[in-house]
Amino acid sequence: MALRVRIASILAGLAGCWLLDVLCRGMLRESEQRLVVLAGLYVTLAVSLNLINGIAGQFSIGHAAFYQIGAYTAGYLAFFYYGRLPLQGVPWLIAMLFLGMGTAALAGLVVGLPSLRLRGDYLAIVTLGFGEIIRIVVQAIDLTAPTGEQVGGALGMNVEPRIRIVGLVWLFALTCIAVTRNLCKSSHGLALLSIREDEIASAAMGVQVPKMKVAAFMIGSAFAGGAGVLLAHSESFISPSMFPMDLSFIVLTMVVLGGSGSITGAVIAALTLFYVPEYLRGLKAPDGTALTATGASLVGWIVAVVAAVVVVRWLAFRFRGTARQRAMGYLATAVGLLVVGRALGWILSSVPALQQAEYEVQKLRMVIFAGSLIVIMLVRPEGVLGRHEFSWDWLARVLRRQRAREAAG
Amino acid sequence: MHVRRTIPAAVWAALIAGVLATGCSGSGDAQKQEQPSGGEAPKTSANVRPQPTAEGNKAEGDTLKIGIVVPINGDQKPWGDDALNGAQIALEDFNKQGGIPGKKVELVIGDSGSNTEQAKSAAEKLISDGVLGIIGDVTSSNTIQIAKSAFEKGVPVVSIGATNDDVTKQGANVFRVCYVDSFQGEVMAEFAHKDLGLRNVALLTDRKQAYSVGLSNNFRKHFEQLGGKIVGEEFYETKQTTFTGQLTNLKAKNPDGLFLSGYFPEVGPIVKSAKAAGLNVKFLGGDGWDSKEILNSGGEAIVGGFFCNHYNNKDTRPQVQHFLKRWKEKVGGEPGTTMAALGYDAMAVILDALKRCKSYDSKSLTAAIEETENFPGVTGDLTLKGQNGNPRKRALVVEVRPLPEGFVMRKAIEPKDLGQ
Amino acid sequence: MVPGAGLSLAAALDFGTLPSQIVNGVLNGAIYALIALGYTMVYGVLRLINFAHGEVYMLGAYTALFVSWAYGFRPDVPPDQLPESSLATLLVMMLASMAVCATVGVLIERFAYRPMRNQARISSLITAIGVSLLLQYGGGLFLPQNPPPTMNERVNPYRQTLELTLVGAPQQLSEVVEAARREFQAAERTFEERLKSEKDQFNLSPEGQRLRDAKFEAERRLRDAESKLNSAQVTVRVGAGRLAILVASLLLMFLLRQLVLFTPTGRAMRAVSQDFDSAALMGVNVDRIVTITFVIGSALAGAGAMMTATFLGTSITPYYGVLPGVKAFVAAVLGGIGNIPGAVLGGLLMGVAETLVIWAGYSQFADAVAFVVLIVVLLFRPGGLLGSSAVEKV
Repeated sequence: MALRVRIASILAGLAGCWLLDVLCRGMLRESEQRLVVLAGLYVTLAVSLNLINGIAGQFSIGHAAFYQIGAYTAGYLAFFYYGRLPLQGVPWLIAMLFLGMGTAALAGLVVGLPSLRLRGDYLAIVTLGFGEIIRIVVQAIDLTAPTGEQVGGALGMNVEPRIRIVGLVWLFALTCIAVTRNLCKSSHGLALLSIREDEIASAAMGVQVPKMKVAAFMIGSAFAGGAGVLLAHSESFISPSMFPMDLSFIVLTMVVLGGSGSITGAVIAALTLFYVPEYLRGLKAPDGTALTATGASLVGWIVAVVAAVVVVRWLAFRFRGTARQRAMGYLATAVGLLVVGRALGWILSSVPALQQAEYEVQKLRMVIFAGSLIVIMLVRPEGVLGRHEFSWDWLARVLRRQRAREAAG
Repeated sequence: MHVRRTIPAAVWAALIAGVLATGCSGSGDAQKQEQPSGGEAPKTSANVRPQPTAEGNKAEGDTLKIGIVVPINGDQKPWGDDALNGAQIALEDFNKQGGIPGKKVELVIGDSGSNTEQAKSAAEKLISDGVLGIIGDVTSSNTIQIAKSAFEKGVPVVSIGATNDDVTKQGANVFRVCYVDSFQGEVMAEFAHKDLGLRNVALLTDRKQAYSVGLSNNFRKHFEQLGGKIVGEEFYETKQTTFTGQLTNLKAKNPDGLFLSGYFPEVGPIVKSAKAAGLNVKFLGGDGWDSKEILNSGGEAIVGGFFCNHYNNKDTRPQVQHFLKRWKEKVGGEPGTTMAALGYDAMAVILDALKRCKSYDSKSLTAAIEETENFPGVTGDLTLKGQNGNPRKRALVVEVRPLPEGFVMRKAIEPKDLGQ
Repeated sequence: MVPGAGLSLAAALDFGTLPSQIVNGVLNGAIYALIALGYTMVYGVLRLINFAHGEVYMLGAYTALFVSWAYGFRPDVPPDQLPESSLATLLVMMLASMAVCATVGVLIERFAYRPMRNQARISSLITAIGVSLLLQYGGGLFLPQNPPPTMNERVNPYRQTLELTLVGAPQQLSEVVEAARREFQAAERTFEERLKSEKDQFNLSPEGQRLRDAKFEAERRLRDAESKLNSAQVTVRVGAGRLAILVASLLLMFLLRQLVLFTPTGRAMRAVSQDFDSAALMGVNVDRIVTITFVIGSALAGAGAMMTATFLGTSITPYYGVLPGVKAFVAAVLGGIGNIPGAVLGGLLMGVAETLVIWAGYSQFADAVAFVVLIVVLLFRPGGLLGSSAVEKV
């Protein structure tokens, strides 16, 4: 990419973060700012996991471990040293960020080494196990604060200082995206992609497979660790139960849904999967209580989804068609799903047992996650965006085609 | 080649430095949070609680918002539901008696989901939504975090069921309507030593709960002071299902009593498992046992166990009778746990304070709550003035009997009985 | 709690409890063995880690619970109104659990795993994770969990505890115990007499308190004598129910081994696990074999779930199968994945290892044992104990 475009992107990114920060502080309440911060952290997690899973092709499903390591690095250091060193406030945070990334990268090294010997699903289990070991070990460590309060792994610990800067979090997320993208476009990125496609062939072509694999783990985990540091300071409280296996699965869903190997996909999926449940959680029924879904509508939606999946698989089996035709097919099915789901829900609402069973929408969140994971695997395993990537060139091409079509009449 | 790489790097470095500079001086939020008085709890001497310096919330218009954080989902749901119903009944009673003329009190509900980080973020959301004060939570770990967040923002907290001593030490804006673990531990230690004649007690503590850890420590301290011996302490974690290893270890120490300071979801299975492991001992516990569910999960083994509770449905005081009547009207039957009555009291206290407020904001509300004296609560007389947030309440020692008896009160112990 | 207790050296190990703890470990491990059998069979045939197996186990536990409710063992029923339980009841519950689990297993295979058969391996793995999460959180919506229900203990008609004395105690200690017991009974009688004229047991007159304290003294002496007796001898206590679990596991393992080694279906299963496509070429109906594998594996998990719920009385939640599932998977890997005796061996070893960690005083690390074992095995001997020692290379 031309140097001008590169510099322009950097400036635009920085300006965007600063603008976002100002807008959030001005217009949003603290609890909403928190959501923006969490969204940024999830984006970082998704993109960093995408580097390991999608681009390097490794099976890492314990990403929450690195997140936790970063958070606890910040936590322990703050516990022991904050207030006693001349560094305070935001500079302290930056220092923690680098230290957290460092420890997480070390952890990535430790996890990456087995990847040299293990086959796909075994590696996946090892990464999962590593995450759990970290969680259990942290839980076992107890400390006593100078005030005599018990501060323990299992009880959770407070992290000082409390710093929640939306712009900084998103700057970090953008850095992660930028680094990953640049890595992809470089020769190192090509090496990773070739490892993903066929390890033996790429080794035969002279790619240093072990070094690249471990490097991918270390970079991905470093960014997850940095996100952990930011989480610790934003929430000001960390506890091992904030980093369960489920968190790794959620991030994995984001990557898979968006398209392994597509950074854009990971970002969009992370934002969608984060905000849609939050939005649903915030919805209130007319009487002010939390929004609930009745059993009737739930059953209706489930049936509709199952039917849609069956239809899409049948279509994919029968017809080939161009990309455009396939996309139209998916779209039609999606619309059909919405219509059928709504209609079925309305029909079933006359069954009293189903109508009265109420389910809080926020409880449905994980069910929707799990369901979408299965549906995506059945319908489009490469993810919604597949390997497609957003880039300025792509945008330029689209605009040029648009202008050409307009010119043609 | 080199130029192309270093210019972007230089640009990045310069701009990051620029952002840092803006972050340091420009953003007011970060500034405020760095100041020690607003953010951290400074070192305190034993009885002086830190004063919050933040401004707190002011009422907007004619609506006075009070927030409640309780476990509406998760393992502690029985407590959360009871506390919420109790609080809502208190609000209805308050409005029936005239409420505050010209103002409407609104109860904003937050769900702690039975876990600490969710409790903390629920409380922070309520605070940012403009509540003048918060009541909640029922467990100590959650309430400590709620208290820390509320301290940062200068909002008062009235805890419903958190008994750990550290809760009210978080700040002068934190209060509770229940007794504290140092009292509860002493009550059970006395009961174990005098009324049950135990001399060698083993502890089984839930290391994931501040309440359990604190209560075990308090029991140990007082029991040893009385001359008893703690023969061993083992640990488990919330949500654990097998306890045979820990129980076998404790059995080898030959205890005559087992003190279970955890919550009811685990205590029932532990007691069953202990009996099966051959531990023929007396089982004791704290108010964490308080749920009828323990009769199901504890089966025959838990019959004859004793625990410490807050109040009893068979009390004849008029406040209790009125509360029971209102509960029957609104929810039906009797409240299953004491959190119902405590929830009622917490809400009643904060509403009473709201009425006495000079102006409708968090600072005045905190001052008014501090002035609470001889408030006739369902669970007893509540005085918070000069008490560092801890009312002097009596404790009941309750025996577990099979259904339909359920929990039978055996002894009522006032603080003065123990020389406090 | 002592600061840093988790990382300090454990206190002196109590070897007197070691036999009991090992027995505990073996009994806990029997459950892991049952679940591990399901994992190992599915992996052997499909090369797929069936993440959802733990959830199938959970559904088996809930099925057993619901069947017990159907029999009348509902919660909140006073003890005198409960029906009588019998071996027939237990068998019905077990069959119900096995049937439900088998059905669920087959459905999962048919609709989630079969479409993934020709895809990349990670797709199947992700689908398995998705099914597992769906069952957990779907169960969280529909199944009773707040508070977690437990099976009524009266459902288990075999509630005796068996005691085995390995090393007896000297005669004189027993005599001391007898003497102390007589003294205690006398003191107790005196107190009971006095109690009749007292208000209640907890508000006594000074004379009542004196007699009560005397009773306590006598009781303490009795306990002292008994504890000296207990320390002098080495006994092992086993609940009859837990022993049943071990026996059942071993029996099922034996039956399974017979099936795999000596029946045509077993032969077909071995063929499919050796080479999927060649087996198809040789006329084996691979879809049917895969289905049968899932049926057997899931049914075993269902049996295990019913037994834990009934004999151990653990609380049942939708997340009931998560930790046992992972540990059982590690057990299968430890024993050699694809290897049936290996799964049982691995399960028992895992149970013992975990219990020994608790015995040593590090109960907070008990769960980590599984994962550490997993990593060590996968790094140094991926074939497991009973498998080959060849390390999988790229």
